[in-house]
Amino acid sequence: MDETVAEYIRRTVLKIPRDEIKTMLQKWGFLSETQLQTINFHQIKENISQDVVQLCEENSADIKQAAVLDIIYNHIYPNKRVWSVYQMNKTGEETEFFDLTDFKKKFKRRLRSALKNVTINFREYEDNAIWIRIAWGTPYTKPNQYKTSYVVYHSQTPYVFVSASVLKSNLPLLCQALVVASNYHDIREMELRSHSLNSLKDIVFKRYSQNFQTYCPRPLQERNVAPESADLRIIQENRHEKERIQRVNREVFGDGPQPQLEFAQYKLETMFKSDSKMDVLDKKEPFRCMVKFSSPHLLESLKSLAPAGMADAPLSPLLTCIPQKARNYFKIREKKSLFPGSFMKIIFKDHYRAWGRRDSWNIDVSKKFPSSFSGY
Amino acid sequence: MPGTGRQRRRHFVVRQTEGNGVQGSRRKRKVPREEALAALTPLLPKGRSLAGKMEEGKAYSPDGVFAHLEMLEARAHEAAVKQEATEQQEEKLARLKARVQELRLQRDELRAKVDLQQKGQLGKEGVVSDLAQPSARAVLEWKIKNIKATLQIFYLTGISGKLTKRGVCFCISTAYEGTYLDSYYLDLLTKPEVQIHRHSVPIFIPLEQIAKKYLQTDIRRFLSVLSDHLNAYVGRRYQADQLQEHFSDQIEGPLQRNSLCNLLVFNYNVSSRSKTFPFNVRLLYGDPCGSLPTEVIVSCTPDAPASLAETAAAHSDLFRRVALHKAFRSFSGTEESVDGAPVGHPASPQ
Repeated sequence: MDETVAEYIRRTVLKIPRDEIKTMLQKWGFLSETQLQTINFHQIKENISQDVVQLCEENSADIKQAAVLDIIYNHIYPNKRVWSVYQMNKTGEETEFFDLTDFKKKFKRRLRSALKNVTINFREYEDNAIWIRIAWGTPYTKPNQYKTSYVVYHSQTPYVFVSASVLKSNLPLLCQALVVASNYHDIREMELRSHSLNSLKDIVFKRYSQNFQTYCPRPLQERNVAPESADLRIIQENRHEKERIQRVNREVFGDGPQPQLEFAQYKLETMFKSDSKMDVLDKKEPFRCMVKFSSPHLLESLKSLAPAGMADAPLSPLLTCIPQKARNYFKIREKKSLFPGSFMKIIFKDHYRAWGRRDSWNIDVSKKFPSSFSGY
Repeated sequence: MPGTGRQRRRHFVVRQTEGNGVQGSRRKRKVPREEALAALTPLLPKGRSLAGKMEEGKAYSPDGVFAHLEMLEARAHEAAVKQEATEQQEEKLARLKARVQELRLQRDELRAKVDLQQKGQLGKEGVVSDLAQPSARAVLEWKIKNIKATLQIFYLTGISGKLTKRGVCFCISTAYEGTYLDSYYLDLLTKPEVQIHRHSVPIFIPLEQIAKKYLQTDIRRFLSVLSDHLNAYVGRRYQADQLQEHFSDQIEGPLQRNSLCNLLVFNYNVSSRSKTFPFNVRLLYGDPCGSLPTEVIVSCTPDAPASLAETAAAHSDLFRRVALHKAFRSFSGTEESVDGAPVGHPASPQ
């Protein structure tokens, strides 16, 4: 067995958390049950990995099997990579008969015709997801197994999820191969990026919970009703307002869990608007700034802004449109509208007191925001 | 003050207020001196005149034509304002009377209802009042049950809708041969033109194409076509899922499918004379609105006995006519039958 393959398998096993190593090796299926029985999975990982490499030597593993183990690892832990979404277009109207073998053949042929030194592996999963692992080399060097790109494609959909490696120069080649293999015409990158692959899938496949008004009898979820205070002297003064906020929030965000995104970035190229007391800029030129919202779970935190009293309900559509528009990078320009007076403000209460003596930081953006957005 | 020859006109500001209870803007109108004098003169004791006291220089005669005209104008204005006020009050009165009428009608209706209920109670047991309470509750529960049943019917018909603030929200509930499966939602806006606002239709269903063809012109056809697509997809998927769930022992290797479930390729075992032979089948569902395959290719290995060719042809025919999982059920049902005999129609009941 090749030294590089052995090293690669060893390093892959080291990445796996110790409790999961056995199940993952079983999934891999390259080592037999009897062989797995001989490994002591309670020793330190260093030793476990050595044992595994030993057994792989006996079975003479090659790079293809090692790559499969890597795919399995990345399938179980996809959140360790950053995924971006690409959208493909085609003009034809024929029904798609997606043939997997055909797809694989075309993809490999296209990629290999441009670059001989690549390792390509496929693995299909139950939810019609095809995982493609590509290890890139150059025309003069062998593929570097540690610089891999991953592509996840669901058949007959126009979306591809790519986790590119550091070698960005290979992206055009990859995109071309995808387009050819899936019978589309062109491909473009969407402004949507996240660590959570499943959330990206939820957003573009519209699997997240949207609140549709219907008469369909759904079982009413038991909402946690706060226990009525035994002391009748305590009266909720703002009950109506709170209920209104809850209602508006539910209408906008729906009932279920939100897709997990880590950030939303808004690049502003709008004019800074202020009253004359706060004349920050002498000349009227676009005030370029970038607003970035970061959070371990951005949409859930936006959902809880209004009930927590930190923002007015309903929230600005700029924030709530993220799942529907399937983007988290925005570029906001001045909208040359017929009604120059129609502006909308996002007001965050009690923050940013550093700016003079103002209590709120107003970010004025054009009211008709959808048409003033553009690609990043 | 010594006169300098310059005219100094002093203006009196006369406020004009509207009548009681009606909100109107207060107008301040500067009125020249003469008019003020003209207005005030009747209030003064006889013989005296303000003019004599205040003037200096020119003499303003209270009987000037312009002054008179201005006075008339002011009076007319006052009269108009008063009339407007009275008109508004009359309007309000009429409205309130109509409302009283309405409320009286409502009260009479409710009274009649209560009487009816009480009479009903009397008719039954001759005891009043205490039973009125649970009866109302029973009525409410019956109403709720009724509405739930109606909504269930809407759901069972397959396409139901609800008017929203800006349009209408449709729910397409799919089913396959008696089993109800997923529901898909479409939120449509009706202004300025019919367009899809949000939806939960899977991405591989050609929604945009169908919408481009029919949404603007014939919305019923649009919904019907979309419902056909969705029901067919769901049906195909159900068959494939059932096959994998119940007949996995007969299938060799993976079941190759795709998102739309319109191409299935797999190997399955056919036993003949206590030997098993692998068959390979490729099912192509050419019609996006159909749940039966349009093209079936069943092939067996070259070393298989010739009689199996007939079996393959029979299977091929069966797959074209019958749902996939039912076809397999018929295989296992007639497997113990005569060796080598080609499989006929499904023996097992639905």
